[in-house]
Amino acid sequence: MATISQEMDPAQAALLDRVDPAVLEEQPLVTNNRDFNWVTNKICGIVEAGTPTWWWVCMAVALATAAFTGMGLLWLVSSGVGVWGLANPINWGWAIVNFVFWIGIGHAGTLISAVLCLLKQGWRTSINRAAEAMTIFAVVCAGIFPLFHVGRVWFAWWLFPIPNANGIWPQFRSPLEWDVFAVSTYGTVSVLFWYMGMIPDLGTMRDRAVQRLKAGAYEGATEYKRKFAEGFDVFRKYFYGIFAMGWRNAGNHWRNYEMAYLVLAGLSTPLVLSVHTIVSFDFAVSVLPGWHTTIFPPYFVAGAIFSGFGMVMTLMLPLRAIFGLHDLITQRHIDNMAKICLGTGSIVGYAYIMEFFIAWYGANPYESFAFINRAFGQYWWAYIMMFSCNVFTPQLFWFKKVRENWALVWVMSILINVGMWFERFVITVTSLANDFLPSSWGYYSPTIVDIFTFFGTFGLFSVLFLLFIRFAPLMPIGEVKYVMPQGDPHGHHAAEKGGHH
Amino acid sequence: MNESELSGPRYWKSLDDLAETPAFRDWIEREFPAGASEIEGVNRRHFMKIMAASFGLAGLGMAGCRRPEQMILPYAKQPENVIPGVPVYFSSSMPAPQGHIPVIVETHQGRPTKIEGNPSYHPYGGATDGYTQASILDLYDPDRATKSRAAGAAISSTAVRDRLAELSRAHSADGGKGLVFLAEPSASPSRARLVQAIQAKFPAATWAEYCPIDLSAAERAAAKVTGQALRCLPKLERAKRILAIDADFLGKDGDIAAARGFSKNRKVKDAQEASKMSRLYAVESGMSNTGAMADHRLRLATSQMGAFVVKLALELGLSLPADVRESADSLELDANWVAECAADLQALPGESLLIAGPHLPESVHALIMVINDRLNAPVDYVDVPAPAAGIEAVAARLAQGVQTLVILGGNPVYDAPADLDFKALMAKADESIHLSYSYNETSAEADRLIARSHYLESWGDGRTRDGMLVPVQPMIEPLFPAFNELEVLARIAGETETEPYAIAKTTFAAAGGKDYNKFLSDGLLLNSAYPQRTLSLNPRSLAAALAAGELTAPQLSAGSIEVRFEASSHAYDGRYANNGWLMEVPDGMTKLTWDNAILISPRLARELQNEQGIQIFPGSKPMNQQDGFFESAKGNVQKNKAQFNRGKEAAVLAELTLDGRTIKAPIHVVPGMANYSVILPLGLGRTEVGRVGKGVGFNAYTLRSSNGMGAALGAAIKLTRETYRLANTQEHWSMEGRAIVREGTAKYYQEHPDFANEMGVESHAPANYGKDDSKSLQEKSTQQFRGGSAYEHPEFSGPPPNVNIWQGNEDKFPRTQQWGMAIDLNSCTGCTACVVACQSENNIPIVGKDQVLRGREMHWMRLDRYFSAAEYKSDEVPEDVQVSFMSMLCQHCENAPCESVCPVNATVHDRQGLNTMAYNRCVGTRYCANNCPYKVRRFNFFDWNKRQIGDFYKGPFGAVDEPELEKMRANPNVTVRMRGVMEKCTFCTQRIEAAKIDQKSKAGASADIHVPDGKIKTACQQVCPTDAITFGDISDPDSEVSKIKASDRNYSVLGYLNARPRTTYLARLRNPNPKMPDAYKKPYAYSAYKERYGNAPKTSEAHGEAHMDAHTDTPLAH
Repeated sequence: MATISQEMDPAQAALLDRVDPAVLEEQPLVTNNRDFNWVTNKICGIVEAGTPTWWWVCMAVALATAAFTGMGLLWLVSSGVGVWGLANPINWGWAIVNFVFWIGIGHAGTLISAVLCLLKQGWRTSINRAAEAMTIFAVVCAGIFPLFHVGRVWFAWWLFPIPNANGIWPQFRSPLEWDVFAVSTYGTVSVLFWYMGMIPDLGTMRDRAVQRLKAGAYEGATEYKRKFAEGFDVFRKYFYGIFAMGWRNAGNHWRNYEMAYLVLAGLSTPLVLSVHTIVSFDFAVSVLPGWHTTIFPPYFVAGAIFSGFGMVMTLMLPLRAIFGLHDLITQRHIDNMAKICLGTGSIVGYAYIMEFFIAWYGANPYESFAFINRAFGQYWWAYIMMFSCNVFTPQLFWFKKVRENWALVWVMSILINVGMWFERFVITVTSLANDFLPSSWGYYSPTIVDIFTFFGTFGLFSVLFLLFIRFAPLMPIGEVKYVMPQGDPHGHHAAEKGGHH
Repeated sequence: MNESELSGPRYWKSLDDLAETPAFRDWIEREFPAGASEIEGVNRRHFMKIMAASFGLAGLGMAGCRRPEQMILPYAKQPENVIPGVPVYFSSSMPAPQGHIPVIVETHQGRPTKIEGNPSYHPYGGATDGYTQASILDLYDPDRATKSRAAGAAISSTAVRDRLAELSRAHSADGGKGLVFLAEPSASPSRARLVQAIQAKFPAATWAEYCPIDLSAAERAAAKVTGQALRCLPKLERAKRILAIDADFLGKDGDIAAARGFSKNRKVKDAQEASKMSRLYAVESGMSNTGAMADHRLRLATSQMGAFVVKLALELGLSLPADVRESADSLELDANWVAECAADLQALPGESLLIAGPHLPESVHALIMVINDRLNAPVDYVDVPAPAAGIEAVAARLAQGVQTLVILGGNPVYDAPADLDFKALMAKADESIHLSYSYNETSAEADRLIARSHYLESWGDGRTRDGMLVPVQPMIEPLFPAFNELEVLARIAGETETEPYAIAKTTFAAAGGKDYNKFLSDGLLLNSAYPQRTLSLNPRSLAAALAAGELTAPQLSAGSIEVRFEASSHAYDGRYANNGWLMEVPDGMTKLTWDNAILISPRLARELQNEQGIQIFPGSKPMNQQDGFFESAKGNVQKNKAQFNRGKEAAVLAELTLDGRTIKAPIHVVPGMANYSVILPLGLGRTEVGRVGKGVGFNAYTLRSSNGMGAALGAAIKLTRETYRLANTQEHWSMEGRAIVREGTAKYYQEHPDFANEMGVESHAPANYGKDDSKSLQEKSTQQFRGGSAYEHPEFSGPPPNVNIWQGNEDKFPRTQQWGMAIDLNSCTGCTACVVACQSENNIPIVGKDQVLRGREMHWMRLDRYFSAAEYKSDEVPEDVQVSFMSMLCQHCENAPCESVCPVNATVHDRQGLNTMAYNRCVGTRYCANNCPYKVRRFNFFDWNKRQIGDFYKGPFGAVDEPELEKMRANPNVTVRMRGVMEKCTFCTQRIEAAKIDQKSKAGASADIHVPDGKIKTACQQVCPTDAITFGDISDPDSEVSKIKASDRNYSVLGYLNARPRTTYLARLRNPNPKMPDAYKKPYAYSAYKERYGNAPKTSEAHGEAHMDAHTDTPLAH
């Protein structure tokens, strides 16, 4: 500013001096001026503290719920796929809907960890670990459905290209075969990414346990309690020690780590797009009106990110409240996630409308019927659920007041996922129910086994997530520190001057 | 069994046997004759025991045709003509109400597996009907009567024989005064001979015959008019103008000859031949297959038919008595319809024909006989034996009390007229004996049950409808100790000859037959038909035969409804009530399975709905009703159907009251029915029946009394608030204007020979084959031009890539035959026999009502039925409809959408162009079924074959074992599919392979390995009475199928998808008479297509029609 004013005439300079430009303060990613130590203590403390009672309650409920999936699958395998509501012509029902739903949820994790990493979005750091965990657990839940929906699950391994005596290979033209590769690759890379990102923190966890053991200063009311705490630290020493793979916080470790992280981010980024693109091929490659649509890949990916961020918010907001993480998951994080939901939700809404336009513009009577029927036929209620949850709900995120009301945001994030489940239902079921020949039109309704099996996967997901928050550091400690004001010397300097650059 | 019955040399198994110790006798009694039937069904252990026992008994005179020993021991010496794995075919015939149906039975190691028509009998040309196809299942019915019973306890065969001999002795003293017989009508000359013997021996005995579906009204009418019983055999192949008076001669009332003859004049090779097509007028109360085929159809109540025929007779210039003439005034009708129809009939004398429904009163039949005579109609009249006394005679005798009532077959307690109260009457007999194949309502009331053998286990004979003598041969020794009707009669008559074989042989000799073995192998005796008579009408007896009362039309209304009783397509008169195939095969018109329903017209339904305030049709106003947006988007969601609740028809239960008797049954609305006629299908609602028929449908016999056997007046319907689920396999009746079944009129076809290919999306799209579109079918089938497809096609023109051929000799490599099918929609009458034949040939399981409700029926072939109306209204079920049938089966697409999506290569193409299913490889992703545009793939959601109906959901708690008896029915050449795999039509690949093997063994070293055309017949093709289905090698331009596919009416369903189906259809033609008041320029289906998808301008109805014509005159101008 000073240099500019030197070249101006004094009158103008005087005028300019009186200008008081609005200061667009970038919200810090860790608020309340916390220091590094606080961050470490906060994150590690969640794992190191004693198991809270609510955790046990949640775990019990989650296990009981997960048992529904177990029972449902047992019944399914012992009787036949007929225990589900499938029939001709609707040969794919809830199982595929649930599969796409869970896979979609799994999208946010990789997007946050890979794409946002490459785009140098600092706000990703406090949510990426949990989001990645969510991804992996969602893929686990998703994987159950395509595996068990086949008629003879004991032969499902035929989908893998394993050399066998029959000399028969899988059929590489089938989108289901692509699914096998896409989902297994995605699952593998997600686990790798998640685990690798966790190594420095596992080292920290190990070191903290070792330090406590060395100090030997265990406080506790009774001897028994002190021994108990010490025993846990012994366990941590070895448990985290093994998984930390010899991490010593050395400079070259950090250098290698950063490089590997970047490489994995680069590898995962195409996967974010490919998985759901390939899942959408399950539909788009078929000849069915309502499925055979070229808009599906981008539409599915946007929808997946949409639902994934919905799920991240569904999980993170309660965690934030329970563990008091308001300084780490700030309003800025919520704002950003809400904005992504708004953006992707709008893309999805655009796709819904564009489908109609193309159906009309394409002048194919079968296709135009498929879309009219989708919205106004026997499944109109599902369409309304989908449209209102996915298109109208995120539009509220335009308003700051809405974004700041985290209870409302949480409710909306759940609505987003309800809507996205219905989207998959609408696509899968309505297209199958009324296709080419009216003589074989039918109606699909799920059975109790369908419902319980799906319901149970939320239990399974919860079990895994509860284990995660109990045993793994919820956030990457090092990376959170990196985006703290203290971690950025220039930013720190500018902040002192009260300006920005 | 006594000593004199021992046949064959005496062998002994043990010293006990030789000494005939009581213990050994006891063992036989316990192990075989009684033990064989002691359990419900047969399990594997027990079956082995039976087989072992039959070994033991082989020397004791039980040696017969059953050869289970082949299954467990190799032959020490190979019997002649028995090669394991190669089926043996025997001729026989099936006793049917219309006369015997000559059949050829396929047997595998002494085990009948499939029934086909005997092509030597030319009127049927090798075709059969659905009942015949399904009759084989009854043989292996675990619920059949497996033993004779007396007072509830099982008795041995010897005891039965003793009792019959006793009976004969006891009644011979007084000439059979206390003896009453009630039998089913039979066309067996042997039985007729034995009946004569009985009447000679017991002159005072009563012999009566009863069948709930009476087919003899025309014969009785002829007896009144001409003095002798005559059977009218219409020669439909010579008829150009046919008027069916409430006659479903192509369906329930007809025989195969009628459908076959009719179709001969409906087959149109090219546009020039269209003018030769016959024209069918139908006047009917229900919506029948005949009505579906009709070019003009008039809805009229059955009780008004008489008046209609009188009007027609007057129009044709017949002179009738005054009271009869006046009776015509009672009917209000479009006079033009009758006048123009009469004029059309008169215009072609000698080629016009009237056919009357068998349930119509005798006066109508008499009058039609006269009209046919006036028209010089192509009808043969043949002498038939005079009908025996009816059930009323038995009732009269029983009322006085009789000593012995012998009921031979049938089920009068269930199906006798309700006013007779046969159950109570039967109790008046001192002893009642029932010869029955199954334990039914009558058996439950009888003192003694004699288990009857199946016709596939019996010797006998019979006559076809036109009187030709045909044999009944056993294919297998009776599976259970059962009796043949001939033996029972012979023993009662005290004949010395009691073996049915000997009886039939003697009858054959008496009928002038020479070579019995040739008769058995031919399956018929030529020139043995009933003698023909020229009709000599006696005007005086004619006048007497015409009762004005039967010809006067009553007034009908929603409060006074006419009830029609009709054989059900599932159980006929009740005899097939335990036949799972027939229960599950959808009714041709209603598409209902596992049920019958009160069939009512849309008008009556609406009136009842308005009057009684109970919804029959869906109540809510459809969201898209009369909305311009939907019109312009060409989407219209049909709401005008029955109430469907989650895909399951929720039919309103109604109470129907007739003459003070009430039944409660579900209502099903059928378009095209006469306004105030309702149809009650008979034969269901059985109470004493096996596991299959239990709880299926309602019993309409309880309403039927002797004065209204065909139709009764004065019924009332009261709707209830209850609903009942009907297992309907087709929810949607409208084709939605899609070009699926393509139809034109004969005239339009003459003007636009290519009309069928100017319909559908493909008519607006580039050709699938691109620049190769003009290549011949043969080239296309072997070269597989890619056109616009990204899908790599195999080449079938040369050797496969893994076969080495001498260079330069590739052309000498034998061309692989390319299989294809053509279905002529103009010939298909929707009789549904193909569906049952396919089920029988391909081991297709039944799944039960619950699973059909869920939409899991397994039929590889289905018969789609669409209704179309002159004007489509999305909120109303039409009253006048045209019906279109389309048999839908795997189309064997060259670009099969199912193949490219299977992740495990389970469904693949072979070099013959077949889309094959490798069941072993299938993991059951069901993606193929989703991607099949024709929805013809069927998935085994459960172990249909191993689990019993009702046990599907039991998981580890249900039995997983197929009863041995049911297993015996299976075709060994077709895999029985397990759960979790997909299945579908294979073009009967087992038949193709058998023919290829046969040809290769014939060819020897020569290269002549091509199966000759016509050698392979798929099961559906073989059974088709109208030859609507043609199968063969499409790479051979001279094959029948290639010639048919060359027709300009040939089209592919959904051709635009470029799936290139190997199954194509010939568009249907209708032949309206332009002078008729209900004439139409285009079939309704075609108009609907043009209106909704055919680029016709959106204008008002009248304008649209005119515009449409102008538009279609230049079809390429869009």
